[in-house]
Amino acid sequence: MSLPATTTSGSDALTRPQDAVSLEIPYDLPEKPVVTIEAHSSWVPLNIRDLWASRELLFFLIWRDIKVRYKQTVLGAAWALIQPLGTMIIFTYFFGKLARVPSEGVPYPIFFYTGLLIWTFFSNAVNSGAHSLIGNSNLITKVYFPRLIIPSAAVGAGLLDFGIASLMLIGLLIYYHFPITLGYLMLIPLIALTTLFALGVGIWLSALNVKYRDVRYALPFLIQVWMFISPLIYPATLVPEEWRWLLALNPLTGIIESFRASLFGHQMPWSALAYSTAITLLVLVYASYTFRRMERWFAEVI
Amino acid sequence: MKPIIKVQALSKKFRINPGERPARRYETLRESLVKAIKSPFVRENKNGQHIIWALKDVSFEVMQGEVMGIIGRNGAGKSTILKVLARIIEPTTGRAELYGRVASLLEVGTGFHPDLSGRENVYLNGAILGMKRREIDDRFDEIVSFAEIEKFIDTAVKHYSSGMYLRLAFAVAAHLDPEILIVDEVLSVGDASFQKKCLGKMDDVTRSGRTVLLVTHNLGIVKTLCKRAVLIEAGQISGIGPADEVVAQYEKM
Repeated sequence: MSLPATTTSGSDALTRPQDAVSLEIPYDLPEKPVVTIEAHSSWVPLNIRDLWASRELLFFLIWRDIKVRYKQTVLGAAWALIQPLGTMIIFTYFFGKLARVPSEGVPYPIFFYTGLLIWTFFSNAVNSGAHSLIGNSNLITKVYFPRLIIPSAAVGAGLLDFGIASLMLIGLLIYYHFPITLGYLMLIPLIALTTLFALGVGIWLSALNVKYRDVRYALPFLIQVWMFISPLIYPATLVPEEWRWLLALNPLTGIIESFRASLFGHQMPWSALAYSTAITLLVLVYASYTFRRMERWFAEVI
Repeated sequence: MKPIIKVQALSKKFRINPGERPARRYETLRESLVKAIKSPFVRENKNGQHIIWALKDVSFEVMQGEVMGIIGRNGAGKSTILKVLARIIEPTTGRAELYGRVASLLEVGTGFHPDLSGRENVYLNGAILGMKRREIDDRFDEIVSFAEIEKFIDTAVKHYSSGMYLRLAFAVAAHLDPEILIVDEVLSVGDASFQKKCLGKMDDVTRSGRTVLLVTHNLGIVKTLCKRAVLIEAGQISGIGPADEVVAQYEKM
């Protein structure tokens, strides 16, 4: 059988010396197994080394999600700007103009847009995270890699839309003559916190969704309710004193208020922010533990 | 020579609800709750669920550099072995030790996205199969010329013919460089001449000292490529030894 030249040149020569004729083994086996396969008990610790080794795959999956998202659309990534802009105009008219909802001494459009920006990122990230495992079932049943990569990529891909929508915020800040202050430095940890919180919730829901497809129906409702108990349309101060604790239970309250405080130079709500951080860490730990426990049978159930 | 794959008493149990396709048997939250309330003491077994041992006490070793074929009827458990060794499903009992980097090829084109171009899919698929970005860079031209689709590499793969699609998918997989390669029935891709090329590539792979575990129904391939073979019957090993002998045993069944 004569073969085309491409097959004989082979990739083999690239990485190790080969001896094709005598079938000698050009490398030594390690003493310990590289991979040991056995049934695990229910408690499985995070395999950080495995995750780190798959960082390139995480990058590629994020890149794929971003690349595919606006394929075959005329307006492309502009949608990430058009959607929140449209929402802002409508909500400003109804809540700012007609209902005269107070807005902590800043113009209502920019007050609402800052909340909307965080909220849109968070809800999209949770939503795509929750559906990510099911959407990638072909990968799960055919290839091994740390499954945590999949919801993480879905959440990470949302950061691009967030970045695009932020341009509008910059425009609003300039339009309303807000000065640039040192408070802006707080934005970076706040965005990181939002991402981690979305990651925690997304990871947990994605694992749950593999077994219980109820998630698909419950989630849109949950997200809608969540939006109304977040200080998005209204400031937290509008809520009657005796109900404010309910709002404070929502970790997003602290995040959104801190976001506004650092942009508008208001007093930072440190205790609410500390609470949000604590809850975020708890959710992350619980979610990754649950995920690890459940991922063993993903391929069988999905 | 030392074994690079050690499989010790591997068993895998599946639960199957009658009347439901085994591949999709998730339950809703309500079902779980109802089941827990109605019959808190009933074990799944009495609940109309059947238990199937897809693998029962399977042990074998594969030597370094060996090409081992796994043959058997449909549903005998061949693919289950591969899935356990590829770490896609977890065994119920037993253990397996792998002394090298594993790549599994249970399907060609895993993760191919129809909207992405051939070039983009090579990178995506390569990363999914465990290649580093740099490795893909190095082999990119080779992959494209192996697949014979130079002209269409920047076209979205949804516009490819099915032959082109499969050739590109196989080409990526053929340029993997793990110490252990686990392959499930993917060698029969494309037309006769491309198949010949694939077999030639597999031959190269095995000559470079890599270990291959191969499931196929094509007994001719087993006889040409494999030195040894395992025959699986109803989840158990019923024959292991030189490929010719095991194939003969299978043909007599």
